[in-house]
Amino acid sequence: MTETFYEVMRRQGITRRSFIKFCSLTAASLGLAPSFVPRIAHAMESKPRTPVIWLHGLECTCCSESFIRSAHPLAKDVVLSMLSLDYDDTLMAAAGHQAEAIIAEIKQKYKGNYILAVEGNPPLNEDGMFCIHGGRPFVEVLKETAADAKAVIAWGACASWGCVQAAKPNPTRATPIDKVISGKPIIKVPGCPPIAEVMTGVVTYMLTFDKIPELDRQGRPKMFYGQRIHDKCYRRPHFDAGQFVEAWDDEAARKGYCLYKMGCKGPTTYNACSTTRWNGGVSFPIQSGHGCIGCSEDGFWDKGSFYDRVTGINSFGVEANADQVGAAAAGVVGAAVVAHAAVSAIKRGRMDQTNGNK
Amino acid sequence: MSIQRRIVGPFNRVEGDLEVQLDIHDSRVQAARVSASLYRGFEEMLPGRPAEDALVVVPRVCGICSVAQSIAAATALRWLAGMEPARNGQLAECLTAACENLADHLTHFYLFFMPDFARPAYAGRPWYPAVAARFRALHGEAANDCLPARAAFMHMMGILAGKWPHTLSLRPGGSSRPLAPADLLQTLALLRDFRRFLESRLFGDRLETVAQLASVADLERWRGQGGGDLRGFLAVAEDLGLDRIGRATDTFLSYGAYAGPDGRLWPAGFWQDGRVRPLEVEAISEDVSHAWLDGGPLPPSLGQTHPNADKAAAYTWCKAPRYGDAVVETGALARQMVAGHPLVRAWVAERGASVTARVLARMLELAIVVPVMETWLRAVEPGAPWCVEAGLPADGEAVGLTEAARGSLGHWLTVRQGRIARYQIVAPTTWNFSPRDSAGTPGALEQALAGMAVPDGDLTVVQHVVRSFDPCMACTVH
Repeated sequence: MTETFYEVMRRQGITRRSFIKFCSLTAASLGLAPSFVPRIAHAMESKPRTPVIWLHGLECTCCSESFIRSAHPLAKDVVLSMLSLDYDDTLMAAAGHQAEAIIAEIKQKYKGNYILAVEGNPPLNEDGMFCIHGGRPFVEVLKETAADAKAVIAWGACASWGCVQAAKPNPTRATPIDKVISGKPIIKVPGCPPIAEVMTGVVTYMLTFDKIPELDRQGRPKMFYGQRIHDKCYRRPHFDAGQFVEAWDDEAARKGYCLYKMGCKGPTTYNACSTTRWNGGVSFPIQSGHGCIGCSEDGFWDKGSFYDRVTGINSFGVEANADQVGAAAAGVVGAAVVAHAAVSAIKRGRMDQTNGNK
Repeated sequence: MSIQRRIVGPFNRVEGDLEVQLDIHDSRVQAARVSASLYRGFEEMLPGRPAEDALVVVPRVCGICSVAQSIAAATALRWLAGMEPARNGQLAECLTAACENLADHLTHFYLFFMPDFARPAYAGRPWYPAVAARFRALHGEAANDCLPARAAFMHMMGILAGKWPHTLSLRPGGSSRPLAPADLLQTLALLRDFRRFLESRLFGDRLETVAQLASVADLERWRGQGGGDLRGFLAVAEDLGLDRIGRATDTFLSYGAYAGPDGRLWPAGFWQDGRVRPLEVEAISEDVSHAWLDGGPLPPSLGQTHPNADKAAAYTWCKAPRYGDAVVETGALARQMVAGHPLVRAWVAERGASVTARVLARMLELAIVVPVMETWLRAVEPGAPWCVEAGLPADGEAVGLTEAARGSLGHWLTVRQGRIARYQIVAPTTWNFSPRDSAGTPGALEQALAGMAVPDGDLTVVQHVVRSFDPCMACTVH
């Protein structure tokens, strides 16, 4: 008999009371109504635990680092217990062949029923020599492990898009994982690294509801990547008022004006930084006086200088007429939303098909 | 009589990918070859980019020491512009660096190093039940103590720098984040909480008392006077003789750490044959004879990075840095040897470097730096400038040297027409886990492992030695 999530938690010394608290927290962090709490609790009491294999390719470990500092210690503990990180290079106890054996065992015992989480990506040049994992190219290990997985999570910009190691001239041909894995649903959780609470949120959702969260046309969970940094930025009023920082530590910087002219990529970046924030909700790059570099967007590393101004967005200052501004903005946003919705629907259809074929 | 070849790896509980190949004869390691099996090519993709962009790209060399990488890049650009950063900015830089370094020391001890002693192989030792309950990987109670304390401590990163890892606020001219008095108070409160954790769980004593231990006799006396995880480790170390394994060359390098407004907290220097000498940057070169790279030995200011995956004599992606001809060790132990911490100097004079000495030096740094952070915070003048502006020249060469948690980190930069023409990084673990050079001389870890006894082919002791360096493989090759 495979243990349920609840049994695993109890074994980890988590009380019933903490468990219920965790369920409420989960509902809240996923933006669900309180009525979902008993449903989450029921799911966790009755569903067998889903094992997770966490593989590292070409990367810098920043995703793991972010993950282990998730804001709510309770959520993190519980997620760690649930995951049990059956295989994770950075944290696990076993080493060498013993560690390889664990992957083999999970693959066999939970065939088609485990989640593969991937941090980093496979380099394809020189037959994969740039990232060797247990004597074999990482790309082989990745494909094999993905083959029997239920779903694949692409942690961070590396697994999702390639990130800085794929920057021109991409010496190793670092390749996002969706280019080498086929026939599996892939959930992209981009960012360099992704926000801890976004990571735990995605995992919790998948483990509790046993399905993948709704994704946008780029494969990102909508609940966390549905809005631009700019849309919810606390400095947005200064953008709208045409009040900009012109130099590091100038008068405007001290007043917390908008960083658009310092190269901020907030207007073109979809992520939860301006709402969820970093390091336990304390702050985020814009709050530290530095523009957003757009690290959750595809190709952010090769779009010109990080300090160049974003062009092609409709900026307006104090001189503009509010009516003109409003009309123009509504037109643009309306069109984008329609396109977005249409593509998502197609993507969802495809996803169901994939699942159905299995 | 046959030589048995064993490979330890993939290594878990280290940052990045690592394999160690051992030639074992008669239950003794004859030779060790350390292989870094991950290469990304930062030195190939930085050329052509605007010089300032290094501040965003280079931290991504490593998600664990990203602030150290930021500081090395900012220091190089500072040198290029010939500028002095704002005083408050320097303090912010010191505080941010200290937060990262101390968190790394803590992670290493609690999550990476100590869990090895909870292995069933040690089940017969008198200390085993207590250590196993406390440190078993992932499930031990120590992880539950350490992770929340560490996460709370790192809220400081949010206040000081916005986001971590891959912080953006550190600039050549200082910090982009001006702190208000309320921020300073909040940071001080976080620091107090962290101090409380260290004093109650790790040291079982006041930080100042631990920092001031001045001799081996002092340490022995202190050991008998209370509890805490460090005392627990010292008991394990004594029982297993960890002070007798892991000695490398006893030649140490430090670039000097925490460059504040009043100079560095710990000076730069090179320790060899029992004395410290001034650091000579020109003495540093990198050899690639045993790396999958083409080229000859070059100083980093002229360094090249040309991968050649088919190179016959090679066994790693890691270059072999040398100081003159010397194979050096870097890290907390090296820093404290160069800085002249009396206990560390006395310990190494008596018994040489070892697994125990490296762990002890890290723990001492935790005890020393937290009180210093409190003085840095008090020295901040919120109204004064945080960042000065200075244009970067279109052409020039620069060096940025700093100390990451794991040791000496240097960036060598050449700029032509405003764009990066050359960027060479020599990271701490590049020094410590260096392969052989063209003279055939093995690197520091390779020398530390050679000659070790491995009774019954049990390689657990090898793991202690490897982890005692706190390797960071992502940085090593980059």
